[in-house]
Amino acid sequence: MSTVLSGTPSDVRSGTKTASARIGARDYVLILLQLGLLALLLRQFQIESAAFLRLALLAFGGFAVHALLPLRYRLPFFLALSLAGIVVVLDPVNGLSIIAMGIVLIGICHLPVSFRARGLLLIAVGALLVALRAKWLAGPVPDVIWPILGSMFMFRIIVYFYDLRHDTVTPVSPVRTLAYFFMLPNACFPLFPVVDYQAFRRNYYDDDAYRTYQTGVDWMLRGVVHLILYRAVYYHLTLAPSEVTGPGQLLQFLVANFLLYLRVSGLFHMIVGMLYLFGFRLPETHNRYLLASSFTDFWRRINIYWKDFMQRIFYYPTVFRLRKLGTTKAMVLATLLVFTLTWFLHAYQWFWLRGTLLFSPQDVLFWTILGCLVVVNALYELKHGRERSLRNTPQTWRSLGVVTLKTFATFWAICVLWSFWTADSVEQWLSLWSALKGQYTWSVLLYPAVVLAVIVIGSLERNPLRNVKPSKVDQHEWRRARLVTAVSLVVLVGVSIEAVHQRFGGEVATTIHSLRSGHLSRLDMAKLERGYYENLLSVDRFNSQLWEVYSKRPANWLDVQGANLKRFTGGFAQNELIPSFVSTTPYGTISTNRWGMRDKDYERTPPPNTFRIAVLGASTVMGWGVGDGETFESIVEERLNRDKPNQAYAGYEMLNFGVPGHQPPQELVTLDYALSFKPNAIYYVATTREISRADSYLIEIVQKKVPVPYAPLRDIVDRAGLEPSMDEATAMKRLRPFGAEILSWIYRHMVEDARSHGVIPVFVFLPALPEELWQDETVEILKIAGAAGFPVIDLSGVYKGQETAALSLAEWDHHPNRRGHQLIAARLEDALRQMRPSVLGADVQASSN
Amino acid sequence: MVDDIEATVKDVILKEFLPGEDPSELTDTTPLITGGVLDSIATLKLVMFIEERYGVTLQAHEVDPEHLDTIAQIAQLIRSKKT
Repeated sequence: MSTVLSGTPSDVRSGTKTASARIGARDYVLILLQLGLLALLLRQFQIESAAFLRLALLAFGGFAVHALLPLRYRLPFFLALSLAGIVVVLDPVNGLSIIAMGIVLIGICHLPVSFRARGLLLIAVGALLVALRAKWLAGPVPDVIWPILGSMFMFRIIVYFYDLRHDTVTPVSPVRTLAYFFMLPNACFPLFPVVDYQAFRRNYYDDDAYRTYQTGVDWMLRGVVHLILYRAVYYHLTLAPSEVTGPGQLLQFLVANFLLYLRVSGLFHMIVGMLYLFGFRLPETHNRYLLASSFTDFWRRINIYWKDFMQRIFYYPTVFRLRKLGTTKAMVLATLLVFTLTWFLHAYQWFWLRGTLLFSPQDVLFWTILGCLVVVNALYELKHGRERSLRNTPQTWRSLGVVTLKTFATFWAICVLWSFWTADSVEQWLSLWSALKGQYTWSVLLYPAVVLAVIVIGSLERNPLRNVKPSKVDQHEWRRARLVTAVSLVVLVGVSIEAVHQRFGGEVATTIHSLRSGHLSRLDMAKLERGYYENLLSVDRFNSQLWEVYSKRPANWLDVQGANLKRFTGGFAQNELIPSFVSTTPYGTISTNRWGMRDKDYERTPPPNTFRIAVLGASTVMGWGVGDGETFESIVEERLNRDKPNQAYAGYEMLNFGVPGHQPPQELVTLDYALSFKPNAIYYVATTREISRADSYLIEIVQKKVPVPYAPLRDIVDRAGLEPSMDEATAMKRLRPFGAEILSWIYRHMVEDARSHGVIPVFVFLPALPEELWQDETVEILKIAGAAGFPVIDLSGVYKGQETAALSLAEWDHHPNRRGHQLIAARLEDALRQMRPSVLGADVQASSN
Repeated sequence: MVDDIEATVKDVILKEFLPGEDPSELTDTTPLITGGVLDSIATLKLVMFIEERYGVTLQAHEVDPEHLDTIAQIAQLIRSKKT
């Protein structure tokens, strides 16, 4: 094979460019083959988003051309590809807007005035952008572009301006500058590493091209592995604070909560690995942070780009300025300043990404505590030094023991701190620790044992020199790394194929299948669902997948024009639909009749010879997201009247009593109201997690000090020891043991109440979307409903074979859309026909309403 | 004199930050900051040594991998300050 590429040494200033930037044909094909497998992996595991896959394909395709170009054309090509990526991910108008605004900001940095004047102008323009982002000023900037624009400029402009100020030697290259700010993968990632401009410039093609590209592939693969591990943790190990009832669960909670950071490290590896494909040999972003053996070590290993940014821009200048106080004092003060600024800059980052200010006591305390721990640790290191090594040498038993103990202690301390940082409130975090009073069994040792094993294995060799040029890596080690990458790619692609992982059998296959799809975990889905009706989402961390989904939701999502759809009523149910209300939403007209039903008008008493059904339920029954006449209830009613399955009745009426956000206890109040319309049957449409929902509502009622009118429920509240001042997690733990009892009583009460009025009670189980995520309580709910005496219509599987995205309103709102309602209607109608006597009245029973 | 700077800096790095390390492993091009040998504390210690030993003053913006990542770069910086 001949050499296929040519190029000249880079024109950049570093003077260290020794590489020819050429790649042999065989190596070129090898890289392309691996990129093909990586693309397959991204697709099979649905890594991140569809937009990211498009961007990755653009990058991989771009690499194929880029690597063949003469060196002088590569940077302009990378810039063109990066700009195209922005337009591909966003739409052309938004993409071009970001580029135009960015060019203005960069242009200010280069105005022919003093640095001071440029700095002041940047601050002034920044203030204008703040006013626009916060919506203090009305402007033509769409919300969607802020997170991306922010991620490109909020920190990089500081780094760039700093370098411009101090580097008076390197000539400015407009192409490199634009490539730095608009670099390719950024359009997909609001959370982006703070790439150092010096490193971006200095390390460009400073080593063997093939080995640089190959290292990029290795890093991207490592990123994918991190992201898959993240999913395993996110889907299968995370617990809600209310689920932490024993010491074993507490340890699981702490570990899982910290390991969610794998998403950030995975994304950063993907991003930097992709940049390697274009010759940017950047330093590592993370260095085995789970193996940190002290707080300073942790700070140096996790998010290294951030640490470097803070060090260059704030730490060293502060130390130098304060040196007259003595170096030790200067270092302590500079370190404390760095942590204070880290807290502030997180809030600053939050502002650009979300448009709101972030201020929580946990945030302040977390950075204060971590800052103090790092200072103490740094003082110790200043006095005693720390162990370093240039080689990958094996440990002695003693050193392995010492480092293992230190790492083990650091890991758990960080887990505890992290849990505090990510808690919804200090009270919630404090309530976690009551779990230590729970039962101690051997299972408590599971997580400590796994953590210890990982630490021992990871510490067998001393941490060698980092960021060594790939060409300096020993040939034997390089070949071993190639083998690892090739085998990992093939194995991961292999197991991602359904026909392959199905062979592993039930549980393994199900787990692998779950890891292949990117969606919210059951906990985040519950939060998202709660957020449909309440503005209480705890989407307050940058690595929160929930936040990313929620941030796409338009501010006026399904706003009902002119007024609220519901009104406060007081009493146990608290709210109801406003009667005689008509308004429009993006999904059609929403109107309520004079009785406050989302339905056409009905008389209080049914017409003669009519089978009247009162349908009770929450938002899906009401038809959140579909227009009038498009709810499954309307469709079924129309079909029943068309086909008349029971000739004993001349007509059918289905009255929609659905109210968005209503939980099982509230349905008791709705039932009383529905019975006043003299129905022949009531269909209670239950969705998933009825037990948890009933618990949550009782807690809400107690917290709001609303009287509970049902003696059995009052008794349970008393027995559980619920208090209005109790935080939600603690209250949930107290009430959970009574969950089944609460729902049983509610269902039995519904059945008895209906029957006492001569009404047929029917239980309709309607799964929520996506169905596979919501099955934890389903079996028990159906059992309780059956035991309560309901005839049960189970609509499980109603969405089978359909993509969730095709049936739900949006990524951030999984209510069924029009198509979803049609499917539900078809399944319900079939079930009604099959169960006709018990749910639509006996053939002989003509109504005499 | 030219070789003295490299040798002196190498000696101090080996003594202060890499005790027990084989001197042949530390070359003029070994990455010190990006390689993880010099963290912020060690870098400041080295800066103090350089300033004291060679009577030069370093600026805060010079404390970065661009100027101090290898013994060769450190020596070059010292020489540029001394001339």
